[in-house]
Amino acid sequence: MAGNDNLQIQVMRSQLGRVRGLGAAKSGVEHWWVERVTSIALLPLTIWFVVAVLMHLGAPQAVVAHWAGRTVNTVLLLALVMLTFYHMQLGLQVVIDDYVNDAKSHLATSLANKGAALILALFAIVAILRMAFKAPAA
Amino acid sequence: MVEFALPKNSKVGKGRIFKAPAGSKKTKEFKVYRWSPDDGNNPVIDTYELDLTRVGPMVLDALIYIKNEVDQTLTFRRSCREGICGSCAMNIDGVNTLACLKPIEEVKKAVAIYPLPHMPVVKDLIPDLTAAYAQLRSIEPWLKSDTNPPPDAERRQSMEERSKLDGMWECILCFCCTTSCPSYWWNGDKYLGPATLLAAYRWIADSRDEYTGERLDALEDPLKLYACRTIMNCTQSCPKGLNPAEAIGKIKQLQLERKG
Repeated sequence: MAGNDNLQIQVMRSQLGRVRGLGAAKSGVEHWWVERVTSIALLPLTIWFVVAVLMHLGAPQAVVAHWAGRTVNTVLLLALVMLTFYHMQLGLQVVIDDYVNDAKSHLATSLANKGAALILALFAIVAILRMAFKAPAA
Repeated sequence: MVEFALPKNSKVGKGRIFKAPAGSKKTKEFKVYRWSPDDGNNPVIDTYELDLTRVGPMVLDALIYIKNEVDQTLTFRRSCREGICGSCAMNIDGVNTLACLKPIEEVKKAVAIYPLPHMPVVKDLIPDLTAAYAQLRSIEPWLKSDTNPPPDAERRQSMEERSKLDGMWECILCFCCTTSCPSYWWNGDKYLGPATLLAAYRWIADSRDEYTGERLDALEDPLKLYACRTIMNCTQSCPKGLNPAEAIGKIKQLQLERKG
């Protein structure tokens, strides 16, 4: 058979068997829906944040910290970073699903994606909370 | 990882050039993808110069002219030559369409003709569609009902119920949409593709079918259905003017709706 290596068929399973595979995962709706909901929620939040930052251009650190310490601003900032990193993780997962096909690297990149999003979100949350609890409540 | 370049044995080389006969009044170049499984060579692009005054109006007419008059070895599928059988689906001028419905006039420069993208090639312009057909089979595209039909009559539908199938029953399964979809190129072994999902929704939307929930169950999967990224190539390429992207969107909506 040495000369016929390229003729050797490795998969003889029927096409239908291959297509049915392991069956449907019974998930996907939530990922798809939450990605859309978070993106809509992030529209007003992001605009509010950008406007607020522009209004504080050149302001001293203490003023910005005081602004972030107001309850409304703290809550909105927390919502902004949590939704942003959650949305980012969902979106990147889609890219990984598309382009990383090998099962092992898929698992590794998926975990790295979720882990990175979690750590980055925690950094942002702690930073916001530190500003919030340093400034006098208003 | 996804392959962004063609494998070595798929790199396309230069082919032969068939000059137009002397005295041609209106010559047009046709650049056709050629590959044969028999000689072990890489695919090439053969160039055929045709006198359009001797050829019918459609790209399929040109291919048939080439096969009859210029080069009998050219291999392609065709049957009805009027856009109802779906056999002559191929990539013409960069877009998947039916050769029989594509006027030569619409292509400004040389007419580039390739098989449907990203499918195994059987020969020349003939793609191997067995995997796509198996995907269609997997969604069980037939009526499933536990209620017996009336003994002496067909199962009835109201006009309104019937109208929900419009825009789906017209699909001729040429797979122009499926093979134009990047999601299908990257994950075609798992993602079902627009043609099959349109067929799936055709049965989900059928008032006579009683297995709607099971059909939605079978599709609820991150890749089988949700690998659709609403790129819309499917709708753009459909030679019958159908909208598979809309059908996929409706399946997603129903899956969301039943979550409550």
